[in-house]
Amino acid sequence: MTLHPLKEEELNSHYTVNYKPEAVYSYTAGQALSKFLLGLKDGKILGRKCPKCGRVYVPPRMYCEKCFVENVDYVEVANPYLDAFTVVYYDNEGRKLDKPVTLGLVRFEETVGGLLAYVEGEPRLGGRVEIVAYDIPLRVRVK
Amino acid sequence: MRTNLYFRRVAVIGAGMTPFKRRYLETPQELAWEASKTALEEAGLELRDVDCVVIGSAPDAFDGIHMKGEYLSHGSGGVRKPVSRVYVGGATGVMTVISAWYHVASGLCRKVLAVAEEKMSPGRPHPQAVFRYIWDPITEKPLNPNLIWIFAMEMHRYMYVNKVSKEEIALVSVKNKRNALANPYAQLGAEITVEDVLKSEVLVWPVQLLDVSPVSDGAAAMVLVEGDVARRYTDTPVWVEGVGWTLDNTSWPNRELAYPRYLENAARMAYKMAGIERPQKEIDVVEPYDPFDYKELHHLEGLMLAKRGEAPSLLKEGFFDKDGEIPSSPSGGLLGVGNPIAAAGLMKTISIYWQLKGTGGRMQVKKPVHTGVAQAWGDLMQASTVVVMRN
Repeated sequence: MTLHPLKEEELNSHYTVNYKPEAVYSYTAGQALSKFLLGLKDGKILGRKCPKCGRVYVPPRMYCEKCFVENVDYVEVANPYLDAFTVVYYDNEGRKLDKPVTLGLVRFEETVGGLLAYVEGEPRLGGRVEIVAYDIPLRVRVK
Repeated sequence: MRTNLYFRRVAVIGAGMTPFKRRYLETPQELAWEASKTALEEAGLELRDVDCVVIGSAPDAFDGIHMKGEYLSHGSGGVRKPVSRVYVGGATGVMTVISAWYHVASGLCRKVLAVAEEKMSPGRPHPQAVFRYIWDPITEKPLNPNLIWIFAMEMHRYMYVNKVSKEEIALVSVKNKRNALANPYAQLGAEITVEDVLKSEVLVWPVQLLDVSPVSDGAAAMVLVEGDVARRYTDTPVWVEGVGWTLDNTSWPNRELAYPRYLENAARMAYKMAGIERPQKEIDVVEPYDPFDYKELHHLEGLMLAKRGEAPSLLKEGFFDKDGEIPSSPSGGLLGVGNPIAAAGLMKTISIYWQLKGTGGRMQVKKPVHTGVAQAWGDLMQASTVVVMRN
């Protein structure tokens, strides 16, 4: 049997069915993340600490994934730095962006986890950043 | 030292696949049928001889058919048979083989057909858009991330921690696309240079166009049977001697991205079962998962075929070339053959099967091979699957 790869023109000359699923979701933030979101309003980044191993999860988690016990205290975390970053040239539909966007993974010293953020300034791996907007997505500036 | 597990020996006696192409007229069922039929023919079996079918397929959203396992069972010969579907993202292709292995190893079935299929082309304008709902809905979704850019961050981290340059990474793309020239199923075999990679369009820094595998359609299938059955049908069975798989945390910001620890765990599980103690000395040929060029290096280190950060220098010395110490991706890999997600992982396993059987044709590596490893990787960068085979 011979298989038939299609060319772009062939695809466009055929009848196509357009269908858009109307699925709308109302997600819940959960116990720990709800506190975190309230913290953002006060200009704070909250983590949550495991009573057994002492790991501080950012964003906060209800339970410790290693010890599998309930995390207890919420603590304000500090000293954000850039663990990784990328510069995006295309959007999710494959369209070229007018201006590339820098996105980074921001971590906080002595914590587990991290947050995604828009990055302003000249980014450097491992470099310190300051938070300019306590929002989702977070917005940070290179120090 | 081998594990103390008792199970039936499992061998591969047939495999088949469609060429990987940008966009097929054929439906997912038709592609699955083409691959399955070829695999059964090579094995010398009829569909009625097959006890059960294992299907591997990544998100339903690629083909655009919800509950795709049920849909695909048709073209995979699964009608009125026990059928199961496995899904661990990009790691699915090798997981399909692992699942088929435990169906036989457990004694539940004697002859299993393992089929993996993916059509990446129906999602328009680009299949990346289907990943919209894999993220944390509260903290990540508002950024509209896609997989390529979190992999870009991983690549960046790998380069930074191990002091690896873009030039060194580009050598993977050059090698794999060259290897693919010898593969009749390949979509993108080419003779390219490091400079071509570095000059190609920047998609998501540091990922450029020639650093990534293409969008492809395709299917692959494999017949796995119990040892006694294998002896009846062939003089050259290829044995599945070790399997391993691990999932890490979906909260991907929780881990160091420069090293795939979860892969090391999966590899240790498979190596222990196969009695491999010194991977770099005992493994003759490898097919690490390479949707991006840096991933092949990352995975060679996770598979313990190179020390951390040393895969790039070994690659430069020719260690992983087709005529090197441990040929890596002799098929041409995803970068050269194409990347219909689940089918690509099974293609990697089939490549090792061909190498061990000696039927690789122009793909066959120079050195004699006895032990081969295939590996796949996926989900939110945290699933890894490993299979060890011997002739």
